[in-house]
Amino acid sequence: MSRDQPAPLPGQSDKIVQVENLSKKYGDNIAVNGISFSLTKGEVFAFLGPNGAGKTTTVEILECLRNPTGGQAKVLGYDVSKRSDQAEIRKRIGVLPQDFNAIDRLTVRENINYFGAMFKHQLDADKLIELVDLKDKRDEQFKKLSGGLKQRVGLAVSLVNDPDVVFLDEPTTGLDPRARRDVWGVVERLRSQGKTVFLTTHYMDEAEYLADIVSIIDHGQIIASGTPDQLIDTHGGKKTLIIREAGEEGLKQLPPGLPKAELRNAGDIAIPLNNGELTNILMSLGQTPLHDKEIEVRRPTLDDVFLNLTGRRVSEEGN
Amino acid sequence: MSRIITIIVGHFKSWYRSKSNIFWTIAFPLLLIVLFGAIFGNGSTKFDLYLQNQDLSANTPTPYSQAYIGVLNNTGAFNIHMVAAGQTVQQALDFVKNDAQLHNRGQRLLVVPAGFASELSATKKANISLYFDQSDQASQSLKGIVFAATNSYASNLSNSTTSIDIQQQNLVTRNIRYIDFFIPGVIGMTLLTTGVFGAVNTNGRYRELKIIKKLATTPLSKIEWILGMVGYQMILATISLVVILFFGYAIFGVTATIDFYTVGLVVAAALLFPGIGMVLANFVKEAESADAAANAITFPMMFLAGTFWPRETLPDIMKIIANFMPLTYVNDGLRDALIYAEPAQALTNTIIALGLAAFFIVLGSILMNWKEE
Ligand SMILES: Nc1ncnc2c1ncn2[C@@H]1O[C@H](COP(=O)(O)OP(=O)(O)OP(=O)(O)O)[C@@H](O)[C@H]1O
Ligand SMILES: [Mg+2]
Repeated sequence: MSRDQPAPLPGQSDKIVQVENLSKKYGDNIAVNGISFSLTKGEVFAFLGPNGAGKTTTVEILECLRNPTGGQAKVLGYDVSKRSDQAEIRKRIGVLPQDFNAIDRLTVRENINYFGAMFKHQLDADKLIELVDLKDKRDEQFKKLSGGLKQRVGLAVSLVNDPDVVFLDEPTTGLDPRARRDVWGVVERLRSQGKTVFLTTHYMDEAEYLADIVSIIDHGQIIASGTPDQLIDTHGGKKTLIIREAGEEGLKQLPPGLPKAELRNAGDIAIPLNNGELTNILMSLGQTPLHDKEIEVRRPTLDDVFLNLTGRRVSEEGN
Repeated sequence: MSRIITIIVGHFKSWYRSKSNIFWTIAFPLLLIVLFGAIFGNGSTKFDLYLQNQDLSANTPTPYSQAYIGVLNNTGAFNIHMVAAGQTVQQALDFVKNDAQLHNRGQRLLVVPAGFASELSATKKANISLYFDQSDQASQSLKGIVFAATNSYASNLSNSTTSIDIQQQNLVTRNIRYIDFFIPGVIGMTLLTTGVFGAVNTNGRYRELKIIKKLATTPLSKIEWILGMVGYQMILATISLVVILFFGYAIFGVTATIDFYTVGLVVAAALLFPGIGMVLANFVKEAESADAAANAITFPMMFLAGTFWPRETLPDIMKIIANFMPLTYVNDGLRDALIYAEPAQALTNTIIALGLAAFFIVLGSILMNWKEE
């Protein structure tokens, strides 16, 4: 943000979130270390990082739950550090905290109305129930729902005040693949409604699938930002040719003169591809017994981006 | 305001939809009442009678007075409890009042005055005094037996001209039975447990479930949240009070007076015990350990604060500790207000309870982290 530009009026900016040089320290532990980023209206923004990277800390500063120790953050043009601004922010944001549970013995609909009553205006509970696909369960008590359905109640609750921006902190952690897909479906519906969404995740595929913009955060610092394609193009490295389940045997059968191949789990052979080499390699493979195998070309993913940037992989558990 | 009502309604629904909540706040106290009432309710079938024999000669009872007491004893209708002879009548009455409450006995005192023997032998006439509550049913039959026994003693003395007058002195007492004593204690106990555990649950568990975090991102303020919790506790306390008093009346005929102090004490309890729970929930962050801590605090408090037995029966050191138990003042106040009809003592206890309530609710509110943890 340049100093010369007139500051936009609070609540009117196209920049939904603006963060500059933000830090948060806990004693000697620097949870967030001078990060800057911004969110434009209508964007789905993913904060991608492993456990302890500083995702929750950042999000909760934006939600006015924690005070930053340095830097600046504005949400909808309001300053998160100003008391009077915080009240305005609270009216206009939607929040799904990490590991959120609604009230056990209230039904789905009662929970939505309970949290809705905290705001001046709330959306119709039945509309929200429809949005998250919980029609059959609307009069079921929260505690009786499965993990995936519970999370959908959380999503509905986070939207109850028709917020200008929604913060979803790890909305799919701990869910089975099916339930994750359902949550993704809801986020996609939000995107199509033009909602601005800030989500955190340690799932690479989730960020890649859902986000317009991804910022990778590690040890409290943003190490890369951009669209998933940009990140992959810049940091993903080469495409890989995979020969499925070829094993040690297959390694020996490879024709000479190929880039250095490696054996991966399940006996897959991976060969890094330079641009324009694909045809030649496939031709030479055709001469070997390997031509019977299943062969695919894999584009690098955000996993590879993270690996290349940090030298580590983010495991399923996010470590 | 509508936010606070939403919170109250939310808590209340969560309460009545949980069978275990209903059990602990309603069924359990009633069970205790029935159980304790059955065990301690009907003590001995004899009448308790306090007796002071002032007619001494050389520090031993005169033969006449001794014989008279023997006659009373032989009726088999009385449990006679002797009161020290050296006390004035007023002192003796005070002693009887305390001792009778302590042991759950009726308050009746028979005084054989000094000079009983000499007057009998000189004038064939004597006076004794019976202090009792004439409105008390049991006392009426007791009076009859005392009269009969006294007449029979007098007529057996040498000849029939001897007469002993019984001066009847009315005592305004309420004949406090164990169950009368116990009911306010059960109310105090219920307010204690629902208050402390309710606050630990709504502030400890709701924190773990991130409900509080979620609420803190809405326009709801910490004060509104706390007011909602307290409002809910007041409703629950009122329900407990009404249900317990109703059952006490229906089963044991316990008549209680609900007055201004009762209301004050219920308000105090609905602030005090959740306040204690909030303080706990802030020191012990994990909901489960907070629950254990709540048990560790409420249990000893229940016993020491005179819920089940009068505090007078405790060893001295425990009596001192009981003075530091907030429940003590709620229990005492409720007894004074509901049963004993002692407005002055009720007022003192209500004021102390309200003071403690203000202290704990303010401390709990200050300690509670609404946002950052
Ligand atoms: N209240 C706190 N007090 C002290 N340290 C904290 C606190 N909250 C977070 N931290 C530390 O700050 C760092 C960042 O934590 P944060 O919760 O923001 O990570 P995260 O990216 O959300 O991780 P996760 O994927 O596990 O949710 C961690 O080292 C954590 O231990
Ligand atoms: Mg987190």
